[in-house]
Amino acid sequence: MSDFFEQFPTVFSALNVGFLQTLKLFAVTLLGAIPLGLIVSFGSMSRFKILSGATRTVVWIIRGSPLMIQLMIIYYFPGLILHNPIWGSGEDGRFLAAAIAFIINYACYFSEIYRGGVQSVPRGQNEAGLVLGLSKRQIFFKVTLLQMIKRIVPPMSNEIITLVKDTSLSRIIALQELIWAGESFMKGSRGLSGLIWPLFFTGIYYLAFSALLTALFNYTEKKLSYFKI
Amino acid sequence: MKKITSLFLSLIMIATIFCACGDKKDQTDLEYIKEKGTLVVGITDFAPMDYQDKDGKWIGFDADLAKAFGEYLGVDVEFSLITWSNKIMELDGRTIDCAWNGMTLSSDVLAAMECSNAYCKNAQVVIVPADKADQYQTAESCKDLKFAVEAGSAGRDVAKENGFKYIEVIDQATALQEVAAGTSDAAIVDWLMAGAMIGEGTGYANLTYTVELNDEEYGVGFRKGSNLAGELNKFLKQSYDDGTLMNIAQKYNIADHIIAQ
Repeated sequence: MSDFFEQFPTVFSALNVGFLQTLKLFAVTLLGAIPLGLIVSFGSMSRFKILSGATRTVVWIIRGSPLMIQLMIIYYFPGLILHNPIWGSGEDGRFLAAAIAFIINYACYFSEIYRGGVQSVPRGQNEAGLVLGLSKRQIFFKVTLLQMIKRIVPPMSNEIITLVKDTSLSRIIALQELIWAGESFMKGSRGLSGLIWPLFFTGIYYLAFSALLTALFNYTEKKLSYFKI
Repeated sequence: MKKITSLFLSLIMIATIFCACGDKKDQTDLEYIKEKGTLVVGITDFAPMDYQDKDGKWIGFDADLAKAFGEYLGVDVEFSLITWSNKIMELDGRTIDCAWNGMTLSSDVLAAMECSNAYCKNAQVVIVPADKADQYQTAESCKDLKFAVEAGSAGRDVAKENGFKYIEVIDQATALQEVAAGTSDAAIVDWLMAGAMIGEGTGYANLTYTVELNDEEYGVGFRKGSNLAGELNKFLKQSYDDGTLMNIAQKYNIADHIIAQ
């Protein structure tokens, strides 16, 4: 037990470094995927058949293939196929590649949630808006959007909590996130080796972070209950 | 906002690369390294070869030797942690310039990479729970055990040669964990790694190693056709002759395993 207390400060600081990388990937993914998802959803709802067909095909490919493969393709293909290693060698390159893979992947999932949200708003409201002389843009931003946001909070929170844990997939391209930091103590890191507990200890970070997010989503849902009659 | 902008810019970068891929095929690897001024060394956490000290700096026998090789070439050395099973992709994709992390020179490795001369001896050993060690002192006695081995590793190859029943797991640490958790009866890992990872003071205090299944040698892997392997051989010879190689080996307690150059 005394060993544990000696090891804890070293392990804790290494895990925090990993967790910071996890958080960074999480935040950048959301910042990119939330707006990109909206653009993708407009694409797949477009009345222009070629555009909506193309967008839906892309969404099918991205949702239909493992994120792990997408990460490897985005990170390794530029160097392997095009003979031009655009990501460089450092950890920044790995992070950027991971962030792009996650943004594209999550934007596709989000776009379908948005599409569901928009299409769940009754058609009659659209017609009413047109009768009142509102433009399409006005109808979307002043009538549809607010109701859509309210309706997509539960499915979005689902996806976002999944994202917290999905970030650990980025270790396939050796991004040193939380799980990687935990595992490093098995093989030897910072003067400690053969430790199993740090890997399992990382679970506590994920649990705590998703507890925080759950509380945040509950609060948001309450705040958004303004259309209740 | 900066992050989003940089992400968009990189998307544009990808697009431009699809149009114009600059291929520099006639440049040798040595010229390529010297031009960019850094040698990127692909490693994993693997005491005593490559590991971080308390301040997060890379040390270990391989790390120190790689730094000395960088000085010899006149370039900076950058360590990049990689997923070990992806090392050939990393090399060919030029995200690393060499794989230098206690790599066993197996026939697979020699076929896929340009390898240096062997510099260190190693063995694959059988890991069993300490209380059962007495029963498994020969390869013959291990025949009925269910083994866990690292996928694509030298341990997997010896398991196959000996006709053992085995399951492939992601890395050697996981193989040890299988034994500790009782989900496999035994594991086959590198002797050097076993020395650092099991026994007193580690999380695997109740594991021990018994049979040495083979003798093998460590080398450094470069891109196929690279002239850096030859440079490294020259450097190994020079540093062996002037004693630097042995000094580093003594520092990490592996002097008995060094191969004369």
